[in-house]
Amino acid sequence: MKRPPAWPIHAALCVVSFFMLLPFYWVLKTSLTGENIFAYPPSLLPVAPHPFFYVDVWYYIPFVRYFLNSVIVSAMVVAANVILNAMAAYALTRGFRGRKLVILLLLSCMMIPFQTTLIPAYLLTGKLGILNTYLGLALPMFSTIVCIFVFKASFDAVPRSLVDAARIDGLAEWRIIWKIMLPLSTSAVATNVILSFIWSWNNFLWPLVVTRDPLLQTLPLGLARFLSYHENTTGALYAFCILVLAPGILLFLLAQKEFIRGLTSGATKG
Amino acid sequence: MDHAAAGPALRAPARPGARAGAKRRREAALAWLLLAPALAVFLLYRIIPLGWNAILSLQEWSPFKPAVWVGLDHYREMLTEDPTFWEALANTLWFTASAPVGIAIALGIALLVNTDVRGRDVYRTFVFISYPLMTVAVGIIWRWMLDERVGLFNYALRSVGLIEQPIPFLQSFELALPSVIVANIWQIVGFYMIILLTGLQTIPRNLYEAAAIDGASARQQFFRITLPLLRPSLFLCFVIGVMSSFTSFDLVYVMTNGGPGHSSELLVTYLYKAGFEMTRFDYAAALTVVQFALLVALTWIGNKASGGDAGAVERG
Amino acid sequence: MKTPRPWLAAALAVLALALAAGPAAAQKKLSFLTWNISDQKDLFDLWIAEFRKLRPDVEVEWLDKKGPEWPAFYQTQVVAGTPPDIINTQGGLWLEYAAAGGLADLTPYLKKDADVRARFNADYLANWTYDGKNYMLPFYVNKTLLFYNKTMFKEAGLAGPPKSFDELVQYAQKMSKGDKSGFLTMNFDWLYWPLFKMNGVELLTPDLKKAAFNTPQAVKVVEALAKATQGGGINKIAWTGRWVEPNGAFAAGNVGMLHAHSPAFFFVRGQAPWINPDTLGAVNAPGGWATPNSHGLGISKGSKNPDIAWEFLKMVTSDKWTLEFSNRRKVLTGNVKSDTATIAAMRKDDPLAAQVLQTQLEQTDKLTGNWRIAVDSRVKEAFYPELQNALLGRKTAKEALDEAERKVNRALARQ
Repeated sequence: MKRPPAWPIHAALCVVSFFMLLPFYWVLKTSLTGENIFAYPPSLLPVAPHPFFYVDVWYYIPFVRYFLNSVIVSAMVVAANVILNAMAAYALTRGFRGRKLVILLLLSCMMIPFQTTLIPAYLLTGKLGILNTYLGLALPMFSTIVCIFVFKASFDAVPRSLVDAARIDGLAEWRIIWKIMLPLSTSAVATNVILSFIWSWNNFLWPLVVTRDPLLQTLPLGLARFLSYHENTTGALYAFCILVLAPGILLFLLAQKEFIRGLTSGATKG
Repeated sequence: MDHAAAGPALRAPARPGARAGAKRRREAALAWLLLAPALAVFLLYRIIPLGWNAILSLQEWSPFKPAVWVGLDHYREMLTEDPTFWEALANTLWFTASAPVGIAIALGIALLVNTDVRGRDVYRTFVFISYPLMTVAVGIIWRWMLDERVGLFNYALRSVGLIEQPIPFLQSFELALPSVIVANIWQIVGFYMIILLTGLQTIPRNLYEAAAIDGASARQQFFRITLPLLRPSLFLCFVIGVMSSFTSFDLVYVMTNGGPGHSSELLVTYLYKAGFEMTRFDYAAALTVVQFALLVALTWIGNKASGGDAGAVERG
Repeated sequence: MKTPRPWLAAALAVLALALAAGPAAAQKKLSFLTWNISDQKDLFDLWIAEFRKLRPDVEVEWLDKKGPEWPAFYQTQVVAGTPPDIINTQGGLWLEYAAAGGLADLTPYLKKDADVRARFNADYLANWTYDGKNYMLPFYVNKTLLFYNKTMFKEAGLAGPPKSFDELVQYAQKMSKGDKSGFLTMNFDWLYWPLFKMNGVELLTPDLKKAAFNTPQAVKVVEALAKATQGGGINKIAWTGRWVEPNGAFAAGNVGMLHAHSPAFFFVRGQAPWINPDTLGAVNAPGGWATPNSHGLGISKGSKNPDIAWEFLKMVTSDKWTLEFSNRRKVLTGNVKSDTATIAAMRKDDPLAAQVLQTQLEQTDKLTGNWRIAVDSRVKEAFYPELQNALLGRKTAKEALDEAERKVNRALARQ
C-alpha cells in the first residue's frame, strides 16, 4: 500500500498546533511573568519569568485541601462512570423492546442544561441527606450520556459471534462485559476516563451550591479568590488555571497509547 | 444453528415459541437491570428537574412566595412580548449551525493524527490541551486576544498592515457572537478529536487493505469506508455540538455577557439571567422547556438522518 | 453482690458533669454571606474572633461568593430553607428580595438602637429603604463622580471640569482627535443616569408606576449623546463596555473624562503610572448628581436567629471595625465618624485617593438612579438596550425612547 508523503501532514499539523497552542502559550507566559495583559503593545516573549505566582496560589487558597477533595470526587466519578456506562452501553447493544425509546430518552436527557437543574438537584440531594458530602458532590456525575454512547459505538463494533459464543459457553453477562467487551474497547475506556475526569474536575457550579463547609470545596472554587474585587487578572490567576489544567493533561498523556492505531482494530477480526 | 443441543443450561422447551418468548423476556429484564443504575442517576438529576421546570413554567413563583397557577402565561409572554427571546433563539441556532465546522476540522485533524506520522502523540496532545482548560480561563484569554485596544489579534493584524483601524470584535453587534463561536470551536476541537479517534479505532484495518488491493483510491476509501463506519462517532459529535450552545455558558458570560445589546445572548444565558438575576424562576422554567423541546427536536432529526440507532452501523 | 462503688461514683460524676455542661454547650450557628470580598479573609477572622468573645455560644460561618454566582447560591439556599442569616449584596439586587419579603425589616432594630442609626450618613442609609422600611445597613458605599485627565484638558485649552451637560458634551468633542476621545461612562446598574438627571429627565412618575422619561427634553439629551458618540467625542466603549474596557481605555491616557464610581479609581491607577494629583482630577458630576452603587448588609427573613444577627451587624458597623475595614481596603463604610477619620488620615499619604473619596461624601442629597421598585432589574433590561440602540445610531432617539417607554411600562405593570 502506497504511504502518503509525510511532510504535508507535518505541515498541516504544525499549522493546527500553532493555532491551538497560541492562547495556551499566553496563559502559560502570564503565569510566569505576571505582566499586565492590558499593556500595549503585548510582548511576545516572557519578560523576567519567575515561578512565584505558583507559590502564591498555594498561599491564597488551601490548595492541598481543595486538590485532595477534587481528587476524591473525581476518582469516584471516573470509577462510577466506567462501570455504569459500560453496563448501560452493553444493554443497548442487545435487542429488547423499548431499546429505541431508551436511546431517544438518553439523547433527550443530554439536552437539559445544568443551570436549569440547579435548584431541584439541590433539593433532591438534600432529601437524600448527602448535602455537603463527597457523595453529594459526585452523584450527579456518576454517569454521563455522551460516554455511554462512546462505549456503545465501540461495543457495536464487536462481532456478535464473539458474544454469542461466550454466552453459549455459559459466561454471565457481567463477565462478558469485563472479559470481552472492555478489553476490545480500551480506546473507549480511555475516552470515558478522560472525559468523566475532566468534567468532574472542572465542575464549578454544582460544588459551589452543594458545599457549605469550606474544607469540602473543590479546586475550581478557588478561582473566585483570584478573580475577586477588581477583575485584576494577575499572574496568580493564570498560575491557578495552569495548575487546574495539569492533571487533565497528565491523564491524557498517560492514556495516549489507547489511541494508537492498530492496537484494537486487528483484534476484532472474527 | 441449533442451540438446544448445547450445554446443560438450556432445557428442551415445550414449544419453540415459548422458548423464544422466555428468552426475549430474559433479555429485556437483563437489559433493564444493566441500565438501571445509569437511568437512576438521570432520573434524579435530569428528568425530575425537567419535570420541576415544566410544572414551574405554568406557575408564578419566587423563592419567597408560594406558587400561583397561571397556565400558559409565560409562554405567551415569551412568544409575543419578548424580542430578547427571539434574538437568543436565533443566536442559539447560529451556534448550533457552527457545530459541523468544528466537527469537520476535528475530523481532518483526527485523520492526520491517526496516520503513522512521527510525533503524532505530540500533535495529539497539542490539539487536546485546550479542552481541559477551565472555560472561564478560555473566556478570559480570548477576551483579551480579541480586545480592540490591547488584544493580540488587532496587534498582529495592524503590525502586518492588514488593517488600519482596530476591529472591535467583542464590542460589535455583528462580530460578538462569531467571536464566541470561534473561541468555543477552539476549545471543543480536542474533544471532537478524541471521540473521532475512538471511532476510527473501531474500523478494522483489513477493510482498507482489501480496498487497496481492489484498487480504491484514498479518496474512495475515505468516502466508502471511513465516513460510513464513523457514523456513530460523527453523530455523537453532532449531538455534542448541539449541546455546546448551552455548555458554553461560561464562555459567553465571561467574554460578552450576552452583549452588546443581546447580540451574543444565548437561550441558556438568558434563562440564567431570568432565573438568578431577575429572580423570575418561573419564566426561566418556561425558557428551559422551550429550549429543551428545540434541542430535542434537532437531536431526533439528526438521529433519524443518521439511521435511527444513534448512528450505529450493522456489523458482521 | 458487692457493687463496684468507685466505678459507680465515677460514672455518676461523669453523668453529672455531662448534664451540667449540656445546655450551656448548645451552639447556635450564624452564617454570613459576602459578595466577592474573599481577599479580606484576615478581617473576617478578626470579626469572628471578636464576636466569639461577645457571644461564646454562637458559632459564626463565613461564606463568600463571586458576583455572578452569588444569586445562584443564595436563592438555592433560600428555596432549601437554609438561607445565610446575614447577607451582603451589591447594587440593586436587595430590592428583589426586599419586595418579595425575603429580607428582615430592620426598622424596629434601628428604632431600638437609635445610636446605631446615628452612626450612618442618612442619605446612604436611606438607599436601602423600601415601602418606608429599612432593610439594610451600609457595608461599603460609593457613588459616581467625574474623573478628568488634566493633561488632555490643558492640551485642549480647557480651564477646568465641565459645570453643565452642554459643557460636558462640548469639552468631550474638543478633546477628541484621532485615537483620543473626550468622555467615557460606566453603563451598568444605572451608573449613567446622572447624565439624564442633570437635564431634569425623570425615569418614572413619583408613584413609581409609569415611565416618565419620554419627553422632548430627553429626546434632546439622547440626540446630543448620540451625536457626540458618532463624532468620537464620546468613546463607543461607554455604551458597549463593561468594567475592564472603559477603565482600561481611561488608564491608557487617551480619554478626557471618565464618569464612574470610586472603585474605578483604584482599578485605573493600578494600570496607569501617569496618574498623580497633577494629571488627574476628581470632582462631582455637573449638578452634583450621582448614582450610588453600594454594598449593604441585611438579615434574611428565614434566619433562625435574627436578634443575634443584629448584634453581629452592630459589631461590624461599629466605629472600631469600620475604621479597620477602611484601612485595609481604602473604601468608605457610610459610618460618618470613621469615614471622616479615614479621609483625614489619607490626605497625608495618598492625597489623590483622599480627594476621590471626599467626593463620595459630598452632595449625598443628590442621589439618583436608585428607584425603589421590585422590578428594578427588569426595568433596566427594558430601558438600556433601547438607549444603546439610539446612542450607537441603530435607531433614532424618538424611536428608541418610544419603544423603551412601552417596554418599561410593561415591566412595571407586572409588579
